[in-house]
Amino acid sequence: MKASETWVLKKTDVSKFFAGVAKEMRLVAPRYLFGGDVTFGVVESPGEIAWDYGHVIYPPKRFLLPHYEDMFRYECGPPRRIRLEAINEAPPQAILGIRSCDVSAIRFQEKFFGSPIVDPYYKARSDSTVLFSLVCNAPPKKECFCICCDAGPYLNAGFDVQLTDLGDRFLYEIGSEKGTKATEAGASMLVKAGSDDIAERRRIEVQADLLFETTAYLAKAIDFISADEVPDEIWEELGSTCFRCGACTNLCPVCTCYTVDDRAEADGSFTRCRSWDSCQYAGFTREASGHNPRPTFGSRVQRRFYHKTSYPYIMRDGRHGCVGCGRCISACLTKLGVPDVVKRIRRGMHKYLPAQDRAAEV
Amino acid sequence: MNPVLTTCGFCSCGCALYIESAAAARVASLYPSANHPVSSGRLCMKGWNATPAVLGVDRLTRPLIRKRDRLEPASWDEAISFTASSLKRFISDIGPQSVGIIGSAKTTNEECYSLARLARGVIGTPNIDGACRLYDASIIHALLQTTGTAAPQVDVNAVAHAGSILVVGANVMEQLAHVGSRIEDAADNGCKVVAVDPRTSRLAPHTSLFLHPYPGADLIWARALVKAIIDRKLYVDSAPEAPGFEELRSSLDEAAGGLKAACGIDAGEIMEMAETLAENPPLVVMFGLGVLQQLQSTEIVKALADVAILLGGSVMPLRGQNNAQGACDLGLVCDLLPGYALLTNPAARKVWEVIWDCQLPAKPGMSAVDMIRACQSGEIKGLMVFGENVALSAPSTEESLEALDRVEFLAVSDLYLTETARLADVVFPACSFLEKDGTFTNIERRVQRVRRAFEPMGDSRSDLDIIADLASALGAEFPRDPRKVMAEIATSVSLYKGVSYDKLDESWGQQWPAGGAKAKLAPVSVGVAAKDEAYPFRIIASRINYHQQTGTMSARSSVLAREYPETYAELNEADAEGLGLRSGRPIRISSKSGSLVRTLMLSDSVPLGCVHVPHFFGGDSPNMLASYECDPVSGVPAYKALAVNVEAVK
Amino acid sequence: MWGVTDQPSENLYMPMIAVVDEIFDETPDTKTFRLCFEDKEYAKSFSWEPGQFVEVTIFGAGEAPIGFASNPLEKSFFELTVVARGKVTQMMHELKRGDQVGIRGPFGNCWPLEAVKGMDLLVVSGGCGLAPLRPAILQILANRKDYGEFWMLYGARTPADRDFKYDLEEWAKRDDMHLLQTVDIGDDTWKDNVGVVTTLFDKIKIDARNTVALNCGPAIMIKFVTIGLLKMGFSEDRLVTSLERYMKCGVGKCGHCCVNHVYLCTEGPVFTYQQMRALPELKL
Repeated sequence: MKASETWVLKKTDVSKFFAGVAKEMRLVAPRYLFGGDVTFGVVESPGEIAWDYGHVIYPPKRFLLPHYEDMFRYECGPPRRIRLEAINEAPPQAILGIRSCDVSAIRFQEKFFGSPIVDPYYKARSDSTVLFSLVCNAPPKKECFCICCDAGPYLNAGFDVQLTDLGDRFLYEIGSEKGTKATEAGASMLVKAGSDDIAERRRIEVQADLLFETTAYLAKAIDFISADEVPDEIWEELGSTCFRCGACTNLCPVCTCYTVDDRAEADGSFTRCRSWDSCQYAGFTREASGHNPRPTFGSRVQRRFYHKTSYPYIMRDGRHGCVGCGRCISACLTKLGVPDVVKRIRRGMHKYLPAQDRAAEV
Repeated sequence: MNPVLTTCGFCSCGCALYIESAAAARVASLYPSANHPVSSGRLCMKGWNATPAVLGVDRLTRPLIRKRDRLEPASWDEAISFTASSLKRFISDIGPQSVGIIGSAKTTNEECYSLARLARGVIGTPNIDGACRLYDASIIHALLQTTGTAAPQVDVNAVAHAGSILVVGANVMEQLAHVGSRIEDAADNGCKVVAVDPRTSRLAPHTSLFLHPYPGADLIWARALVKAIIDRKLYVDSAPEAPGFEELRSSLDEAAGGLKAACGIDAGEIMEMAETLAENPPLVVMFGLGVLQQLQSTEIVKALADVAILLGGSVMPLRGQNNAQGACDLGLVCDLLPGYALLTNPAARKVWEVIWDCQLPAKPGMSAVDMIRACQSGEIKGLMVFGENVALSAPSTEESLEALDRVEFLAVSDLYLTETARLADVVFPACSFLEKDGTFTNIERRVQRVRRAFEPMGDSRSDLDIIADLASALGAEFPRDPRKVMAEIATSVSLYKGVSYDKLDESWGQQWPAGGAKAKLAPVSVGVAAKDEAYPFRIIASRINYHQQTGTMSARSSVLAREYPETYAELNEADAEGLGLRSGRPIRISSKSGSLVRTLMLSDSVPLGCVHVPHFFGGDSPNMLASYECDPVSGVPAYKALAVNVEAVK
Repeated sequence: MWGVTDQPSENLYMPMIAVVDEIFDETPDTKTFRLCFEDKEYAKSFSWEPGQFVEVTIFGAGEAPIGFASNPLEKSFFELTVVARGKVTQMMHELKRGDQVGIRGPFGNCWPLEAVKGMDLLVVSGGCGLAPLRPAILQILANRKDYGEFWMLYGARTPADRDFKYDLEEWAKRDDMHLLQTVDIGDDTWKDNVGVVTTLFDKIKIDARNTVALNCGPAIMIKFVTIGLLKMGFSEDRLVTSLERYMKCGVGKCGHCCVNHVYLCTEGPVFTYQQMRALPELKL
């Protein structure tokens, strides 16, 4: 079984196949909650998996970068003796049904946390995680725009195992060593993909491309933002409606910023815990003296977009910081999702550019 | 690691949240429901940071009893029996009226109901009131007399389809984010948003008209607005048929003129407001603490309700707390029985006397404010406070603190050792909304399930258990299963008919029906704009979005607390210059009732003659500047538009 | 459950334990803490450069980034000079001798003492800004012949608010450096200059074309010093300063200390003015 080979797994074999995977690692998959809500969670049996799940608000990044993650404990015992205990929980896990956008985001985070200094917590979790991603035959929600971001609806590289729903069977592509290893247990259930299967997958690809309702023409915005040409007025106008809720960064599968607190426990010990933080909060950069280098809403919106879409970061991270999952659109209480901001920057810049440089409004 | 679906315990939007805990009472993953009609996949800053806020390290985990002037840990038995014996002593020595209870607008419906029953049905005291008295109780009688429903008439999602919205005295974008988000959606679709507030707010980008009256002058312009609508016949065709129309019309007989000087809004702006609202149905009229905590709050609400009725629109009072609606629905109000039955109505009393097997007093008892004052005079010997930091939320803080300190017996139930709890003789460690079962009623009259996601921290208990323990010690057995309490509520309170945990488990909550009563137009009083030479400034008190009420919960989340660590007050640059005050220096703001010191910041958003004093956690609350002067009808203290003096700190 | 752990794993987030050996009161709100690692082997291998910092854990409170303030050649201890401002530093001020703290680091880049060998030096600092420069000054003096003229300007609010008074006294006496001090408000015993540190500029005799300036202090001071030095003819790549931002992880992950694309904790905090001008957020 080699990477970059293409196979087929019958849907009737899916439960058995993943029951086999479950012997080595816990299964994390989409499950229905209440009223149509879906989440990624640990499933006890493959029967619980909601393969037809649509989309999920709470990103699966939290299985590699938890919302709240304990780092180590300490105790201030007598006589003033400090004892430290490392915590590093990295249960082997297979994340099933994860979308291409979220896979791209995880690859981004692996690169970020892996260099130049290695974050041991992220590395441990990512080393013990294999992704069985699911191609989107159609964008799961109207806010999706992964095709604008080279992050979906299917991937040509960067996946471990990529499944495509072909009706009564899944196309099964192996894309990495991890994928190969995770496939070993159930290899006998796979048959080599035939030309019909490949053709069906091509048809799905072409079809899916036509169904996107949201677009984000990032290129011009990246230019303006990188050159620091977007005037403060535009940022402040954008920031004037921000609710400062932090949802955009919490739910963004790419975002990685966190804060650290030492939390007192009931038994007198302390746990150092890191948790998702947001550059959209005013306190994110406020110093002990009270000085805040980003005191306005506009400066913080500018920060979010600089971090995601400027050349220096693109060069360092290997891609820009948006995978087009659309969560920042649906989670935002106002209209500061990436496509909206990008469009408003492009249009807003019109009046600042000399007439001959103004592109036709797209 | 099963996610538990529950309802947020911060504001009245009542978002649905999933909580996942790995271990007992640890901060946990939290995310909104995508399909819940209000949360729709989104939360505000408080919601996103809810778990550290309620699971703070200094949560009370054991009962405390004051011994030798110090609060010492005690067992539940000790705490309950000491409380019960103290109350029994007061009841037998003086009478049940020497006992008072102030309930919460944050506890569950089952807890509010049980507390009202404990007070009236077991202790027999008429002195039972809720925290709403300090915030938004002014809506109750004002709306019962006009729209007939002491609650919002529209859903949050309906706001997005309004043709025009009038928002008065509410920092809605920062305090009720989901309502604010729908206002923005409406504005994007062409809705005309008219905002009225002495100070600008983050509503501004969405408004077609933003008017800035003088603080305290809202009744003046509201009356002028009603008059303009009637004089110019802008009302809908059915309006003249509403009871009270003629009386209202003929009472608005003042001459025009002098409006701008009186309230800061001129006749032309009033007319623009009237026409905008009249020409863009459907109208939603919203109002918040900016008017609800004014000296003439009931009158203002009636006037705004009249505006809505005349123009065929709906009323949406903006109550901040997660269960303000439920607390009032279920009778944590000194002159009401559950379901808004008047205590003075003998037939209503009879019904509840049968259900609760007791005798009910015929006259309303003291309001929460009066109870605190009665602690000073000694009329109240024993006071119990559940889930409200009255030491900071009551007016005239210095006097109130003294009163609470003086009262012979004070029992407090809360999550943390608040300023009120510090003065208590007995402190009950209550558990948070994440640790108990029950229901809240949100701003859409939607009764929703609160579900336990953790075991209560330490030895803390739900208020329902605490109330049942007290009842038991006083000889009555209350149901401890919230399901059963709701079953009793559903059979006895017509508004909650049909509500059951089974049905709640199958739906996004059950809304009680509004709109049964016929709308009546109320006469509008004449507003009075007072001036005080010694106190030439007016305060504009506000709340910031990551802080709620007295900040007991929000202070415990490091992310929320980090947002504004320093307390400040704002003046207009011109006023500051005129007083010789410099930015960054401390200033003293004082009234007849108290004074506080804040760091001065300058802002154009503050009108001349005003000082903006936000509420913060830690530091002094602007409430200390308020006296015991209250709206005469609702008994809500006048916290807004207080006359103050501003000077440098030497 | 509890293993006694003094060794960090490959985990860059776990601190090493150090003990408070001495505490010096520099000013009413500033203390210098002399710290020694409990693990002597680790102490031997622990080396750092002037300008770098550590993340100090005050057990029970949290972590704060503090710059080294002592002689980098000294192996048996290192010193941190701390103003009590936020929660962590306030608790740090309550430490006693023998108390334990956690140390992670060293982090960050350093003053370019290698690159400026052979050149004249101008060290300008104000208030607590002297602390991050002190290791550089000590290293320069320990290798004095590697550098040309050495001017040092130091300003504080009052004479009592000066850090390292014992060093200033020594340095004032040296004939291989020129130390000029100034205060905003003098007192009866103050004989030197009164005024902000830029008022000392006309007293220095240097050739800006051959001098590198190292500059550290309150932001407003740095701003005016920079203006003054540029006027004097310093080129932008010869003005070096140490920037400050709220920090958490110290290892370029948590995002708090970013200025544009630069993480202050890994690529700073020492920058030339030329590098700073390439960061639009600084609005220079």
